[in-house]
Amino acid sequence: MGGYGDVQLLREDGLRLDGRKVDEMRPVSIQAGILPAADGSAMVTHGLNVAVAAVYGPMEAHPRKIQRQDRAVIDVRYNMAPFSTSDRIRPGFNRRSREISKVTAESLESVVLVERYPRAKIRVEIEILAAEAGTRCAGITAASVALADAGIPMRDMIVGVASGKIEGTVVLDLDKAEDNYGQADLPVGILPNTGEIAFLQMDGDLSPEEYDLAMEYNFKAAGEIHEIMVDALKARYEESEN
Amino acid sequence: MPQLVPNLLRQEVARLAEQDARIDGRERFEGRDFTLETDCLYNAEGSAKVTMGKTVVYAGVKFEIRTPWPDRPAEGSLMCGAELRPVAHRKYEPGPPSPQSIELGRVVDRGIRESGCIDMNSLCIIPGEKVWGVMIDIHVLSDGGNIFDACGLAAIAALRTAVVPAERFDVGEDYTLPVNGTPIMASFTRVGGRYIYDPCEEEELGGDERIHITIGDEGHLHSLQKGLRGVFTPAEFAEIFKVAQNKCAELRKVVAEKEAN
Repeated sequence: MGGYGDVQLLREDGLRLDGRKVDEMRPVSIQAGILPAADGSAMVTHGLNVAVAAVYGPMEAHPRKIQRQDRAVIDVRYNMAPFSTSDRIRPGFNRRSREISKVTAESLESVVLVERYPRAKIRVEIEILAAEAGTRCAGITAASVALADAGIPMRDMIVGVASGKIEGTVVLDLDKAEDNYGQADLPVGILPNTGEIAFLQMDGDLSPEEYDLAMEYNFKAAGEIHEIMVDALKARYEESEN
Repeated sequence: MPQLVPNLLRQEVARLAEQDARIDGRERFEGRDFTLETDCLYNAEGSAKVTMGKTVVYAGVKFEIRTPWPDRPAEGSLMCGAELRPVAHRKYEPGPPSPQSIELGRVVDRGIRESGCIDMNSLCIIPGEKVWGVMIDIHVLSDGGNIFDACGLAAIAALRTAVVPAERFDVGEDYTLPVNGTPIMASFTRVGGRYIYDPCEEEELGGDERIHITIGDEGHLHSLQKGLRGVFTPAEFAEIFKVAQNKCAELRKVVAEKEAN
């Protein structure tokens, strides 16, 4: 995390620079089924972040060495578009996107009923079109909705949310400035129906009490985002009925 | 994954062609419904989203400051690249840029560059020291056929909305990038023996060679490309060139109307 307390992130009135309360999330909107070529797709707008996910499959897994005899493999690619950040990103994989792809795939494998599709592969493509802190969470949320849109059986969806700490205060859903100059970031993937956690990362400095509070905020936000995810999927079916 | 040879599809489009019909019910030179949105990506200095039928494409413009080429000390540069990432279709695989994506990016690049709509001298900040590099990145999110036209339209629409981020680079005030012209691409594919405009996915699969024509504001040609296996006659080209003139003029009007609003 960046400089410790050298940038003011909380106003005199206790609100954050963008006027949010400490436990207030940025606005989230979700659309399902936006990419006609994909088997399932979703777009998540979370604050200024825009994440798109496409799902292809289940399909034959190849090369054969990646096949699993008893279950499907989930092949996730998280990628930031060259124009998604302030400075252009050179196209192609980097260490950050590889790591995020790996842990996202493992999280999704914990909710998708992979044992139903032995030797198969399910491709999940996450494209970040605009980034302003919190893209991995928006990507996980988008991937979950896209998997559901593709009709792939899952135990639960995963909601990506993050809390963190700025100026010694725990806050929900860090924006860009808070992420750059804050003291901690705790992105998690929550299963809203079971209350379990499938994705967990953290960096910075949190006391045990601060961790508990950050998690409490995350669970509260996950409930709110889950409703938006369900609405997006319902809207998709209302659309196709007409 | 290799595409299976779509023999039945070939037969079907050929059968339809005999009745001068198309698989999705369009006229021979009728385009699909399309939408154009500009200024739709937060971190890009110019952006556009184009949907054409089942095709969805985004383009974003970024700027960087670079040192000019020694032989052209007062000229900036323009680069246009396209990515055909696996998100766009199950046929695309991860890996280094494929020949198709390189062709796509270069054909769009030539149309914009050769139309002269960007004056490279206007991209100079300090001669011999600092010039702007303009980069248009095209991101195909859903390939439902004729991504060339969608990419060409998204690229020029994004470029025409671009704002030079001079303040962020500490070289003066932000200003709208001067763009003098709207080069537009029109693409044709041979399906069932004759050329059709704006092929959908099935027509590309069951068709043969394709021709891409980019036309500027004055009706002049700025880029041509023939792709895939096949040959054509001058008479065939003359026919589609006329169609392209009209199509490009129509699309140019849509871009202008979008900007006026």
